[in-house]
Amino acid sequence: MNPFRLHATPGKVTALALSWVLFSAGILSYFYVAGKRHAENPDDRVTPTISQMVSAFQSASLEPFEEEIAEEGATQKSIWSSISSSMLWKDTAATTWRFLISVALLFPAVVLGLHMAMFPYVGAFFLRFFQFFDKIVALSLLPILFIAFGIDELSKVMLIVIGVAPTIVLDTFNLSKSVPREQIVKAFTLGAGDLAVTYRIIFKQIWPHVLNSIRLNLKAVMLFLFAGEMIASADGLAYRIALLRRNMAMDTIVPYVLWVALLLFLVDLALNTINRKMHPWFQEI
Amino acid sequence: MLFSRFLHVNIRKPFLTSLICACLCLLSGSQTIVVAQQKPSFTVGWSIYVGWNPYHYMARSGVLKKWADKYGIDIKVQRFDYAPSLDAFVAKNIDGCVMTNMEALDMPAAAGVDTTAIIVGDYSNGNDAVLTRQNLTLAQIPGKQVLLVEKTVSQYLFERAMTLAGQGPQLKRVKYINTSDADIAAAFLSDKSKPAVVTWKPMVSQIAKGGDAKVIFDSSQIPGEILDLLVVRTEILNRADGSGQKFAKAITGAWYEVMAQMSGTGPAADKVLSGIAEAAQDTLASYKEQLSTTKMFYTPQAALAITTSPALAKTMDLVRQFCFSHGLLGDRTLSVDDVAIQFPDGTVLGKKDRVRFRFSTAFMQLAAQGKL
Repeated sequence: MNPFRLHATPGKVTALALSWVLFSAGILSYFYVAGKRHAENPDDRVTPTISQMVSAFQSASLEPFEEEIAEEGATQKSIWSSISSSMLWKDTAATTWRFLISVALLFPAVVLGLHMAMFPYVGAFFLRFFQFFDKIVALSLLPILFIAFGIDELSKVMLIVIGVAPTIVLDTFNLSKSVPREQIVKAFTLGAGDLAVTYRIIFKQIWPHVLNSIRLNLKAVMLFLFAGEMIASADGLAYRIALLRRNMAMDTIVPYVLWVALLLFLVDLALNTINRKMHPWFQEI
Repeated sequence: MLFSRFLHVNIRKPFLTSLICACLCLLSGSQTIVVAQQKPSFTVGWSIYVGWNPYHYMARSGVLKKWADKYGIDIKVQRFDYAPSLDAFVAKNIDGCVMTNMEALDMPAAAGVDTTAIIVGDYSNGNDAVLTRQNLTLAQIPGKQVLLVEKTVSQYLFERAMTLAGQGPQLKRVKYINTSDADIAAAFLSDKSKPAVVTWKPMVSQIAKGGDAKVIFDSSQIPGEILDLLVVRTEILNRADGSGQKFAKAITGAWYEVMAQMSGTGPAADKVLSGIAEAAQDTLASYKEQLSTTKMFYTPQAALAITTSPALAKTMDLVRQFCFSHGLLGDRTLSVDDVAIQFPDGTVLGKKDRVRFRFSTAFMQLAAQGKL
């Protein structure tokens, strides 16, 4: 059978093997280069070996943070308390907090987009502005953001909101507009009011699509968050990566990057699963 | 159908021709590469800083080419941002690079790349500074927030300042906010709630112009501790064919020729200085202002004096202790002596079999004797 035909179906084992080819090629070539560099220079920091990364990750996730040692001294603690006082935990907590606030602030954008689509006056008021605002590269306006929001948490969250909210507003607007007009007419003939049509006819239908759109924008949220943390902060995952880059501690950076990828993957998976459970009728296009 | 036929007739042919052209270009390109390989070629990375901008002028004015031709080699200078230039040097993508004595120790040397400083160009004599609002003194900073680029000379300067002011034990209570150097001036000027900032010129000048912050400590109070160097990989100097030695001689010769032009007075020197200022899209006046807080070593004799003085070993000891205590030498460096430093007289700070960073006076000496 020719495997390069449209109707060719790989078996389960073949499919699994194929999906791992690029992973193993990447991993193998990395360790080939790392091995070569370490043979040349045992102190090489650019391409850490797997044992170096494992030990760096262990010390980042299990050992108490250096500032703590100075204050409390080395006392025996349970695994949980040593994890919760570790560098990785503190960074993850700081970044997760910012991430959740930013995502929560995206939901008002959904309501706004919906109202813009349903009420022509609201639409006329906001639409042009958001279409323009959507194309502004928020990062280049940082100095202005600093003046308006200081350089603490607020400016980081606002950077994300300004960067991602217009996309969500416009997306919700377009999704709401794409619901067939006949349904609105029908709802009115059955005696529905304005808000009933908006929330019980339109919103119910577009909600899974909107969740999906927020899910697809999570990476943009994370990018803006990382940019913000790298510019000015005192904790967070991107802060740590920016700091570790200064002494080329790739043995900690590589596990950190993988950890961020894993977290993002889990959030993505969770949102997707919740969406499907809540709306079994929803089929992703 | 008609359209696609139209496409075929009219686009395919130029496409083929251009493909052939591209192949020919590639061929001729690879031929020039072959020619260039007969002449040893070296790349030096530089980044924008008052003491390093002369490298731009050196290449543009033809001084560098003159010296490279004299030694029968090719030297390219390439501009980087500072951190990427260090990355490129450690990854061995470039042969020489400008950096401070602290970075030379905690980046290439600590990463096992044996590094030799061949030119000591200047030291920061006020370029790096601590600024505060509302006349805050160093003793009042503990417990407050300080904006700086963490784990760089800024933090070194700040901690030296605190130690000199007798506030060393209070350092733990200072809250650092790691702020990117590209945004630090804007961040500090616009957020009035932050009382202190540590940075370098030209950001110091921008912040001082903002009006409400004043310099309370600067690098002129720790003279000669923040040195700006040209470093090369030691293995290049030791190349069997001697091309590395030629490279070091050529660039040292070119450097001191530019230094001589810079240090003059009158319109001729101003023209050179404008050419150098151009490297950073800067004006002559602004560049002169930056030079006033930089102790340039215009002559090889002046550079030799500081490189051979016993003070250098004391400085490097402070720097290496700072790097070690802040984990900049790497988690796996268990002793400060594992990254050893060798001075021109042969003395070694640290373990003798682990020398990773060397100060060499060989080429500055030749320049001083006029033997380049």
